[in-house]
Amino acid sequence: MSSSMAFFSSTTPHLPSFSSSSKTHFPINPFLSLKTQRHLFVSVRATENGSGAAIALEVKKDSEVAEEGSNGVPVAAAVEELGVKFEDPKWVSGTWDLKQFQKGGATDWDAVIDAEVKRRKWLEDNPESSNNDFPVVFYTSIIPWWAWMKRFHLPEAELLNGRAAMVGFFMAYFVDSLTGVGLVDQMGNFFCKTLLFVAVAGVLFIRKNEDIDTLKKLIDETTFYDKQWQATWQDEKKE
Amino acid sequence: MASVALKFFVGLRQSSPENHRSSVTVISKSLPSNQLHYRRLNVIAGKSSPKITGRNLRVAVIGGGPAGGAAAETLAKGGIETILIERKMDNAKPCGGAIPLCMVGEFDLPLDIIDRRVTKMKMISPSNVAVDIGRTLKPHEYIGMVRREILDAYLRERAAGAGATIINGLFVKMDKPTDKFAPYVIHYNEYDGKAGSAGKKVMMEVDAIIGADGANSRVAKSIDAGDYEYAIAFQERIKIPDDKMQYYEDLAEMYVGDDVSPDFYGWVFPKCDHVAVGTGTVTHKPDIKKFQLATRLRARDKILGGKIIRVEAHPIPEHPRPRRLSNRVALVGDAAGYVTKCSGEGIYFAAKSGRMCAEAIVEGSENGTRMVEESDLRSYLKKWDKTYWPTYKVLDILQKVFYRSNPAREAFVEMCADEYVQKMTFDSYLYKTVVPGSPLEDLKLAVNTIGSLVRANALRKEMAKI
Repeated sequence: MSSSMAFFSSTTPHLPSFSSSSKTHFPINPFLSLKTQRHLFVSVRATENGSGAAIALEVKKDSEVAEEGSNGVPVAAAVEELGVKFEDPKWVSGTWDLKQFQKGGATDWDAVIDAEVKRRKWLEDNPESSNNDFPVVFYTSIIPWWAWMKRFHLPEAELLNGRAAMVGFFMAYFVDSLTGVGLVDQMGNFFCKTLLFVAVAGVLFIRKNEDIDTLKKLIDETTFYDKQWQATWQDEKKE
Repeated sequence: MASVALKFFVGLRQSSPENHRSSVTVISKSLPSNQLHYRRLNVIAGKSSPKITGRNLRVAVIGGGPAGGAAAETLAKGGIETILIERKMDNAKPCGGAIPLCMVGEFDLPLDIIDRRVTKMKMISPSNVAVDIGRTLKPHEYIGMVRREILDAYLRERAAGAGATIINGLFVKMDKPTDKFAPYVIHYNEYDGKAGSAGKKVMMEVDAIIGADGANSRVAKSIDAGDYEYAIAFQERIKIPDDKMQYYEDLAEMYVGDDVSPDFYGWVFPKCDHVAVGTGTVTHKPDIKKFQLATRLRARDKILGGKIIRVEAHPIPEHPRPRRLSNRVALVGDAAGYVTKCSGEGIYFAAKSGRMCAEAIVEGSENGTRMVEESDLRSYLKKWDKTYWPTYKVLDILQKVFYRSNPAREAFVEMCADEYVQKMTFDSYLYKTVVPGSPLEDLKLAVNTIGSLVRANALRKEMAKI
């Protein structure tokens, strides 16, 4: 307890003396490894916290912290805590066993999608080591295209078509009341056709309020790298 | 007009076999006098610069890494008085250490410099789907893994052999010239071999400077080159048991995922007798140790029982500096920011840019007989941008599309299973040209990519609902 207290007090970062404080971290680790594994795990976390703030300084000096073999933290011990693996009766040798997903004679693809979603969510929260003896060989392309369409595309398409229809009806009524031009005659007019194109594109690309910002950012992103490369030529034009 | 004259006189010369691949090196050879007629058309830019009498052009190359070594060698071979200033001759730089196949040929590297030939790679997605790539490699194709201290020293020695003077010293600052063709004065501390000594202050007059001093370049600061965004690459060298090392004999691994890096990847690269496990990030630098732990966790079963023998970190530029050139000072390599996105590759581009800049100086100065001007160095920038812009842009697009989020990374790994993708990727990596493949295959690839991205994103939306 007192040693861990001393350890935590030594992690307060003193930026100018980073190089000296880093040397005091590592000799303490083997000491702590004699205690329970929990302490070692906590000490590894504290190391990152202490050095995280000072990492900017370390990099600017392009320093290399040399570790001698005796001080090296054995790889296995540090990550012992995170040992829980993903397990599921339907997950057999690195892929989903489709035979266990049968419903009425055919594979229940929705259930496969649900199972994969759960697995990915689990792995995002508890990352696992990749193992050569138990490789993951499940590819989402095994699920047929119509299963994806039925589940994801069709509801969204219904929504968007509904929006487009509502917008279209209201715009047609609005233009008709202003100009007296009926729907059939509107379709022959170039300006109306442009409005129609804008309406469809708007419904397709702007589905949430945030999409307007996202689109603006995307446009910036596509040209940003080019601008960074062209920067050196701005000098030449000025001369 | 100048380029027409160029093609004309290249055709008249007898180009030697090894220069076929890079036609530029043809120019650096000295030209016979009966072709002076064409040469006058060529060097219109240099015409206004005065001839130097009594001595050759003096150029200082600051920094002795691949960029500096390649530049110094080309300058010395072109007849220019070259000095190369390097602060640490035995510097074992933290580096991935991968060089493409074309570098071995283009720079005539001896094969014993290469510690390992990587012919297989494994990409591992966030959900641990592992894809093997490398099936499409021909038997003579490989990615070379080198130790930086050996490669850098070899290139420097070759430069010395060609006539460059290698100085162990630290560049401090430069005095800009007051006149149009007046020399630069560089200040450096020359080390005399005694450990810990600050070195003797030396001043030297030079006509041009090539800044090859890396990511924290002092030359760049002197010419107000501006800053760039940079990634932190953090790496631990781990000595693993022999049976585990057998697996990494000729295989490198790439781990992608939010746990490993939010905008880059984690790697396990085999070195001479150990592996380097590391990761990098641009946007979340304070969390780098957390990412490193996650990388080690993902590779845990394969590096179990290993001992960390070294911990190192270094900055990687993400894009070129706003100003890569100022009057007669040019930046090359990491100092200029020539590291690709997506893969973070820099050694080849450093060496090539050093060589290209040196060639431009040799040509503009007519083998050291005339003074160079800014326009001569600008021709190096023009050539560089024209040759490698497609490569950089394609890698930038790949990074933006596939390193965005976990679904994008899953799609990325799925796409890598495709043979056409593997062939295209390796061809463009090993030979540094963006080869347009067959349009039909490209269309199929585009459809498959969109399909993968849509599937992965759909799964992610479901994940958010849980």
